[in-house]
Amino acid sequence: MNSNKTIRIALTKGRLEKDTVNLFEKIGYDVSQLRDKGRRLILEIPGADIEVVLAKAADVITYVEHGVCDMGVVGKDTIDEYGGKFFEVCDLGFGRCRFALAVKAGTDFYKGYGVKTIATKYPNVTRRFFEAKGMDVDIVKIEGSVELAPLLSLSDGIVDIVETGTTLKENGLAVYEDVSPISARVIVNPVSMKLKKNDIETLLQKMENNL
Amino acid sequence: MKGYDLITPEGTRDLLFEECAVRKREEDKLRYLFITNGYSEVITPALEFYDVFNMKARSFRQESMYKLIDGKGRLMVMRPDSTMPIARIVATRLKGSKKPLKLFYSQNIYRCNPKLSGRDDEILQTGIEIIGGDEKRADLEALSLAARVLCECGSTDTRLELGDNTFYKYLLYALSLEEDEETVRAFIESKNTPELKNWIAEKTETITDGNKKKYAELLLALPRLFGGEEVFETAEKLFCNTELADRLAELKETYNALCRLYDKDSITVDLGLVNKAEYYTGIIFRGYIEEYGQAVISGGRYDTLIGSFGAEECGAIGFAANVNAIASAAIKREEESHVRSADVLVFAKDGYLTEGIRHCTELTQAGVITQFCTCSDEEGAREFAKENSIPKLIVIGENTEIIEIE
Repeated sequence: MNSNKTIRIALTKGRLEKDTVNLFEKIGYDVSQLRDKGRRLILEIPGADIEVVLAKAADVITYVEHGVCDMGVVGKDTIDEYGGKFFEVCDLGFGRCRFALAVKAGTDFYKGYGVKTIATKYPNVTRRFFEAKGMDVDIVKIEGSVELAPLLSLSDGIVDIVETGTTLKENGLAVYEDVSPISARVIVNPVSMKLKKNDIETLLQKMENNL
Repeated sequence: MKGYDLITPEGTRDLLFEECAVRKREEDKLRYLFITNGYSEVITPALEFYDVFNMKARSFRQESMYKLIDGKGRLMVMRPDSTMPIARIVATRLKGSKKPLKLFYSQNIYRCNPKLSGRDDEILQTGIEIIGGDEKRADLEALSLAARVLCECGSTDTRLELGDNTFYKYLLYALSLEEDEETVRAFIESKNTPELKNWIAEKTETITDGNKKKYAELLLALPRLFGGEEVFETAEKLFCNTELADRLAELKETYNALCRLYDKDSITVDLGLVNKAEYYTGIIFRGYIEEYGQAVISGGRYDTLIGSFGAEECGAIGFAANVNAIASAAIKREEESHVRSADVLVFAKDGYLTEGIRHCTELTQAGVITQFCTCSDEEGAREFAKENSIPKLIVIGENTEIIEIE
């Protein structure tokens, strides 16, 4: 565990970071360093005994799991895909979107007996979704724009994060079925939660009150 | 073909010099603690049949075990835990023996962790099992020993945390939610109150029975019932007039006893501890130290395990300490100290090798840590002593010469 008395919190770089910094500002913290961060990755909130670490989503989980960060803000999408042992204590409500199964507009995904192929960046989420249906599917992991896979006939469908559905629409795809909702979550290392209970609960309370 | 002869498998490591010395020192401390408390050591095979770990009430996830196949095609595993093998022994070789039995072990366990997660796959666990005996007394002794393990490991901030899954199990039963046990457990284990709330609301929508509504509230409260003494105050209000009030009073009694024995601030309670619910049947506990991000002690009461091996049911409680974690925390904490390999180096000149060995033997028998120098000349011996911080060099020749090395 991070044995300093300060609380170290890891934020997912990008939009969740911005939303969380806004939340911190609303709480009344001095976020000047966070706004004007340059290329620094570890920042301080002066006067609040909080240290902010900026990391990629999956790394937020890794740092919190190992306890080098006490807390983290990360999307439910990342939690669902990577899992891990930590407390998931608060739904921040922002960063809202969903996992969905999308196919070429107008096709019936479940038609026929053949084993379907799904392209996705989230193989674990996809596997669990179809396992729950008792369906065997081939999963192909794609790193970039997953929408390409069904267009190039590599897959029958995709499981991906859908926000507005514009990208899908522009590429002739449509949501076929929702998989699960997504939003930003606060995660906490179990040992930190126990050893720094008061500080962490106070911060969580402040965050919840300002949502 | 490229081989793998130069590296160790992921999750395993070689321990050299200081790392090894500290690991052994921490292990010895715990072994000594258990021996002086009257526990008998057992060693079980590192290889066991898969079935030992794969029955209800002792389920380890298939993918978390290292598996092999024996000459007859049977599935074997590298033991992922020491309690199951000990329960097997109690149910077979120690079947007729007089209880209570107090056993301890200190051996490696093997877990197949997700790759590249930075976790150990080979972990030295030192732990105890109290088989049989009076439940209240055994619980307190096990917990007290766990608290002493935490004291021994030299960390300045530690917590021993008590829980009891009776509450959780009873509430599931009362709400007829046993089928969804795994889902509920995942929410409670991760203290995911928001999702637990939604889920319970959905499941209990149709319930009009006042009692059941109350149980649903209690279940939702579990993840938040952790901390110090104040937890009991809150819980007493919540659980009064339910079948769980007596159990809570018992847990409080155990908690108070521990607070009298150890630093009160280092003893906490978490009624949301529900891990391995199919296995633990009462008190559950964990130990934390500030230098390590996961629990270093994990244990609890398991009254149905021994019976599941076909023997008469017999209550038991035990815990295991993760010595890898305790040792790595100690290394992090301690000033870098060079472990000296010997206090005296003995170099024998040509023609005096027998005398040299004899001198060495005499010194070691007198308790001096002495190394026989295998360098070919005296100059080399001096250099060796200097490099290894050995303060004294004895040169055996016509005359015995003692040289102090700076």
